[in-house]
Amino acid sequence: MTEQPILVVDDDPTILATVSEALDLEGFPVVTATNGAEALDVLDRIPPSLVLLDMRMPVLDGWGFMHAIRERELSLKVVVMTAAADANRWGREIGAQAVLAKPFELDELLGAVQRLLPT
Amino acid sequence: MSGLEQLQYLSWLLYIVVFVLVLVRTIRRPTPAHVDMTLFFGVVATVIVSTTLTSKVRLNLAWVADVVTPSAAIALGYLLLRLVRDFAHVPRLVMLAVEVGMLASIAAVVLTPRPLSVELVLGLVVYLVLVIAYDAWAFTRHAWRTRGVTRRRMQAAASGSLCLDLVLVVAGVGVAVPSLPPAWNELGAALGLASGACYFVAFAPPTWLRRAWQEPEVVAFLTSVTSLARLPDIRDVVQELEHGAAAALGAPAARIALWHADTRRLQVFSDGKRVPLPYLPRAWLEQRATLVVSAAEQAPPDAALFDAHGARTVISAPITAYGKRLGLLSVYAPQAPVFANSDLELIQLLADQAAVALENRALIDEAAQVRAREEATRLKEDFLSSAAHDLKTPLTGIVTQAQVLRRRAERDPAAPPDRLGLDRLLEQSHRLKTLVLELLDVSRLEHGSLIGERQEVDLAALVRALIRQNATLWNRVHLHAEDPVLASVDVPRFEQVVSNLVENALKYSPHQAPVSVTIWREPGNARLSVRDEGIGIPSEDQALVFERFHRARNVDDRRFAGMGLGLYIARGIVEQHGGKIWVESAPGMGSTFQVAVPFVSRT
Repeated sequence: MTEQPILVVDDDPTILATVSEALDLEGFPVVTATNGAEALDVLDRIPPSLVLLDMRMPVLDGWGFMHAIRERELSLKVVVMTAAADANRWGREIGAQAVLAKPFELDELLGAVQRLLPT
Repeated sequence: MSGLEQLQYLSWLLYIVVFVLVLVRTIRRPTPAHVDMTLFFGVVATVIVSTTLTSKVRLNLAWVADVVTPSAAIALGYLLLRLVRDFAHVPRLVMLAVEVGMLASIAAVVLTPRPLSVELVLGLVVYLVLVIAYDAWAFTRHAWRTRGVTRRRMQAAASGSLCLDLVLVVAGVGVAVPSLPPAWNELGAALGLASGACYFVAFAPPTWLRRAWQEPEVVAFLTSVTSLARLPDIRDVVQELEHGAAAALGAPAARIALWHADTRRLQVFSDGKRVPLPYLPRAWLEQRATLVVSAAEQAPPDAALFDAHGARTVISAPITAYGKRLGLLSVYAPQAPVFANSDLELIQLLADQAAVALENRALIDEAAQVRAREEATRLKEDFLSSAAHDLKTPLTGIVTQAQVLRRRAERDPAAPPDRLGLDRLLEQSHRLKTLVLELLDVSRLEHGSLIGERQEVDLAALVRALIRQNATLWNRVHLHAEDPVLASVDVPRFEQVVSNLVENALKYSPHQAPVSVTIWREPGNARLSVRDEGIGIPSEDQALVFERFHRARNVDDRRFAGMGLGLYIARGIVEQHGGKIWVESAPGMGSTFQVAVPFVSRT
């Protein structure tokens, strides 16, 4: 198991708490951010193993966050979590490794994480 | 032949030519106006022929010289007055006076022994001069009241009558003062020629002259047609077309009846003052331009309608575009002799141009409808996608949280319940419930069925009870209401409005800041206001906060979760009560939401 935490980014406090709890239950270390700008701050301090990213957020949204990542030439594994109707297209467009269409099942979430973080 | 004689013969010839033209037309179409014209020019011709026979040919026909010539000359004034009456109104009293004067004059001429005294001759001349002067004045007045080709014809008739009157004045002076130079008689002959020419163009204008007289109005009509289709209201388009067509034909009124395919009827726009006018069934059924000179030619019900609308003459043409029947253009005149057969071509031209304008107008309307439908579809799709998005968020929380709780319980059945997780589950369930109820309200609102039964209640008591029910959450809410304020409202819906406004006020203001609800009455309205000391609303957002899914731009989505439907629903409820809702605010200065509901409306 990796020491690096998973970064969860979502502006909805409940989703943030629930997803964190689910990952914690499986033994993944978790850090959280409520928008893209906060997430960039966290990145600088604690490089994550994976980012779970909401798209529609205030201050800096998912697209802005991905743009900033490309500018910094960071290579990050990203899972997009979105309630948009065309979730898969958005995920492809911004270069995410996986897409979770809200509302997703717990198994889908953990499945995507385990696929991207081989133990 | 002297110059004087040449002038005389020329004017005589002219009058006889006009008489023949009018006679031919009357035989073809014997309308009262045509008969009057024939009589007038016939009597002029009689005077000319009898004068020629007695003075030039020197036939010794005493009865012609003594009776026929003077009687015919005296009748001229009366016959001209009949022509005036064909075009314009002549008071009965005037008609009667002229008739009596004519009969008295003829009697005096016939019964008085020869030679006639100078006084009698001068008296007869004065009678005629007065009658013809009245005719000239009546034609002039009518010229002012008409337009286009009809005005020009009336001007010509007035000029003709003036010249004829001057002929009589010249002749009268000749009788009174016998030693005048010969040029005096030439003046009379020249005036006679001029009056003949004027009457010719007034009463029997050749087609080319009619066309020339109609040209300015026709050109104006054709010029306006291209821009007409852009007018905002089709009624304005129709009205302008009617106005232009009436002017081009020199008539006072025109109507366009539009064909309504669904009701299969021709309909005229009716706005109280403008009543449907009769039309010519033949023009519509046979789809060709038709002229009906006299309403009496129509079948009884139509004839009565024509009569009731003072439309004695009607000329109609079908309005057709690309084989599609659009309607019927009808031009009306209260006088029979306004239209000529040559006008049939003209009105068809005008109707064809009207078809272009109406068809363009229909295309513009159709394009606007398509755009409006597309916009409505887009709004609906936006709404559905926003609604779906906002429903998915709490649903995600519920699904994931429930599965986490279950997994926890499976792994360690003895562990204490996860209170925090259960609270989150409940909170998200409530959020979802609120959203679903709001969406249902929006759906009812848009079907206009949001409001149920109303009852008369005291709004102050209603709000007081609400504050008591929500005592813990609403502990910052203060009610200011002095007296009972009665209004007829749907109680649960009105409570929903108050709750929404109060909860917004609590949500968007600092934790200790008070929220004031004030209730009072003003003339006609019960009033309620909810004031907070919160973040305020930028002025550009103030009208938009009542729209679907709009949240002011200074609202932080994360802190203030919600769909942005609450105020939209509140506005719907207030408006379906016949009231108004608005906001007064400035950023950082708090907001006051104002509601006005009519006191009691029992409709």
